[in-house]
Amino acid sequence: MMKRIQSALFALWISVSCVLTIAAGLFIILYIFIKGFKTITWEFLLSNPGGIPIGVEGGIFPAIIGSLLLMLISIVFAFILALATAVYIVFYCESQRLENTAHVIIQCMAGIPSIVLGLFGYTVMVVSLNMGRSLLSAGLTLGIMIFPFIQVRIEKAFREFSKSVLNASYSLGVSKVYTIFRLILPQCRRDIVSSITLAGGFAMGAAAPIMLTGAVIFAPAPKALSSPVMALPLHLYILSNESISMEKSYATALVLIAILITINIFAITLTLWRKEVKR
Amino acid sequence: MNVLELKDFNAYYGNKKIINNLNMAIKRNKITAIIGPSGCGKSTLLLSLNRMLEEVEGRTEGQILFNGKNIYSISKEEIRRRIGIVFQKPTPFPFSIYKNLTYAPIYYGVRDKKRLDEIAKGKLIISGLYEEVKDEIHASALKLSGGQQQRLCIARALTVEPEVLLLDEPCSALDIKNTANIEKMLLNLAKDYTIVIVTHNLSQAKRISDYTAFMLDGELIEYDETHRIFSFPKDKRTKEYIEGIYG
Amino acid sequence: MRIGFDKAFIILIKVLTLFSLLLLSFIIIFVFKEGYIFFKEVPILKFITGTTWNPLSDPRNLSIFNIILATLYVSLVAIIIALPIGVGSALLLSGYVKERPRLIIRGLIDIIAGIPSVIFGFIGLMVLVKFFEKFFDFPSGESVLAGGILLAVMVLPYIISTCDETMDKLYRKHSPAAQAMGISKIYILRTIVLPQSLRGIVAATVLAFGRAMGETMAVMMVIGNAPIMPRLLGKCQTIPSLIALEMGMAEVGSLHYHALFAAGFVLMVILLMINVALYYVKRSLNR
Repeated sequence: MMKRIQSALFALWISVSCVLTIAAGLFIILYIFIKGFKTITWEFLLSNPGGIPIGVEGGIFPAIIGSLLLMLISIVFAFILALATAVYIVFYCESQRLENTAHVIIQCMAGIPSIVLGLFGYTVMVVSLNMGRSLLSAGLTLGIMIFPFIQVRIEKAFREFSKSVLNASYSLGVSKVYTIFRLILPQCRRDIVSSITLAGGFAMGAAAPIMLTGAVIFAPAPKALSSPVMALPLHLYILSNESISMEKSYATALVLIAILITINIFAITLTLWRKEVKR
Repeated sequence: MNVLELKDFNAYYGNKKIINNLNMAIKRNKITAIIGPSGCGKSTLLLSLNRMLEEVEGRTEGQILFNGKNIYSISKEEIRRRIGIVFQKPTPFPFSIYKNLTYAPIYYGVRDKKRLDEIAKGKLIISGLYEEVKDEIHASALKLSGGQQQRLCIARALTVEPEVLLLDEPCSALDIKNTANIEKMLLNLAKDYTIVIVTHNLSQAKRISDYTAFMLDGELIEYDETHRIFSFPKDKRTKEYIEGIYG
Repeated sequence: MRIGFDKAFIILIKVLTLFSLLLLSFIIIFVFKEGYIFFKEVPILKFITGTTWNPLSDPRNLSIFNIILATLYVSLVAIIIALPIGVGSALLLSGYVKERPRLIIRGLIDIIAGIPSVIFGFIGLMVLVKFFEKFFDFPSGESVLAGGILLAVMVLPYIISTCDETMDKLYRKHSPAAQAMGISKIYILRTIVLPQSLRGIVAATVLAFGRAMGETMAVMMVIGNAPIMPRLLGKCQTIPSLIALEMGMAEVGSLHYHALFAAGFVLMVILLMINVALYYVKRSLNR
């Protein structure tokens, strides 16, 4: 009898948990869609914000462009570093100790709060290197933020690569570099692209690191790497926190979340596809 | 006459000695079979011959001479180009059949499309695969059957024009028909290549090899012409093995 | 030519790796450097044990005891809420859900993980805070509890995926034998999978705690940002939100500016320790 009750309670606990999780996820997405949907127009998407305080009227065009550019810069920067680090650790590092140290360092980098990265970007790039609050400063700061995320996934993809196929390549007398470029990278392409897009999504949604390093309340779509930019997450923060316009807040949130979900679904589909192929 | 010569050769994984003081010479354009119970060091010996042992973290002592030159004085890329290897499990690259065959030639600087086509076709013919796959050489190599994959791997090993071909139990995962295919192909290849084959299958060694080496516990027990080994083994242990004592 | 390319590539790889790995020390050094100027004025002990933060008063009071406490408090509340839900969901996922629906649920969880914190903050502001104001009759719904609940939803995906990894392996390992003896799924989950995945749960908790402590935007939008002694239903201020809010006002080079770096440094040190711990917990998991 006692056992029965325990089992029933346990079953209740795990099912309620799962329902709560799914409900929370669906609620967030549906809430934003329903509330924001009616404000979305072409004009909203394609015009500059206006009115006083700024954002009461008009649209979010520069913020969309700004966010996409920030994502692009951060991805390029982080990808180059992450790929190199993963290649080194998996294919060239011969000391176990060095490898462990590298892993601790990357784990620690992943744990640094994004606002502290903002501080770092601010003191180094904005102030010391005199790059100003700009697209470049903010993009690089975001790049540092997503570097560990991409590195860990690329390294994992490399490690999953069949050792015997790798040896078959070496046994033909071709060099490691050729093997990496011709055999491994093409085969890990899907994992790499999926990790980059996911990371790009994270970069795009982050407000804390860029509010100190480059994102501003208003700027037209940037023309140079040195221009300050608008970004969707910061724009949303300002609109809602200062109660400028709730309607536009919902719509901005909807645009941001729609872009990110698209990115996510793209990345997930890539990974699934890969798994089916492997089978 | 001798392509490969081993002198006072030892091999280790970590501190564990796998091959003990082995001396042996492998003759050009002959098929040499290495037999022995599992764990006797025959696969390790094979991997040593083209320095693949380094990739699995093994190390060696003593000398291996390839055409009279120490293999450690030649770069590992070069030695592997000239001494090809095919593993027990087929290892096709996850690309098309054609790309599997052009992968290494492109590395060695063959850029001409016609020349690449010739290499691919030529090696498929040698491996007896051409008739089976000629209409789908751009299909994924992973779609081939196990036996076809293994023949593709042999063809791929030949694309870099090696002098020696090492085979590590190439038929252990295959059925009788595919095994027969591969054996026929190896007999053909022996005209142009030196072949060293590690095998579990005594009748296979008997069927195709000119010379047979019997190894036990890391030592070379007996090495002679195949018919002598099977008809008049000198060592008691060899006799016991070919009569099926060790399994 | 090929050999030249190979050599150049290897050198490039090494340089880039070195740079990547040195980035961490750059970050630590530069944040410390700016904070150090402050520590010369105000001893570090006073900084972290004093309770008053008021950059505008004269003489200025810049101590962050309340703020550190609030950072820990909000994160703790989040973990207390999220842990049972996360562990429960992971158990259900590993034992009950079939391949297909499981992928869909995992996808949804990945999507929750990908929702930016500012959107969480926005929803927190519009839903959670309003709810508290209405139903509990608070003067303002902004509180430690609101921040905790919001953070709980945000760290849930991390807890679920970390736990699920361990639990799924355990379930697959033990279920055939157990089911052959006619033992029910529930019983396997409760008596084998749950107790055996303790280390995975610890890893998940540490990870989630680290995430929660470093979170800025969502928390900032619902906690009221008052650097007072935190109470569950009262306002508070966390280190990340302090930095985000005040950095814009602080003049470069002022004591206030350096104090914010000092606060950032303290937060970073705490999180570095958490992550080193996490690294070792994870490593013991993989053995």
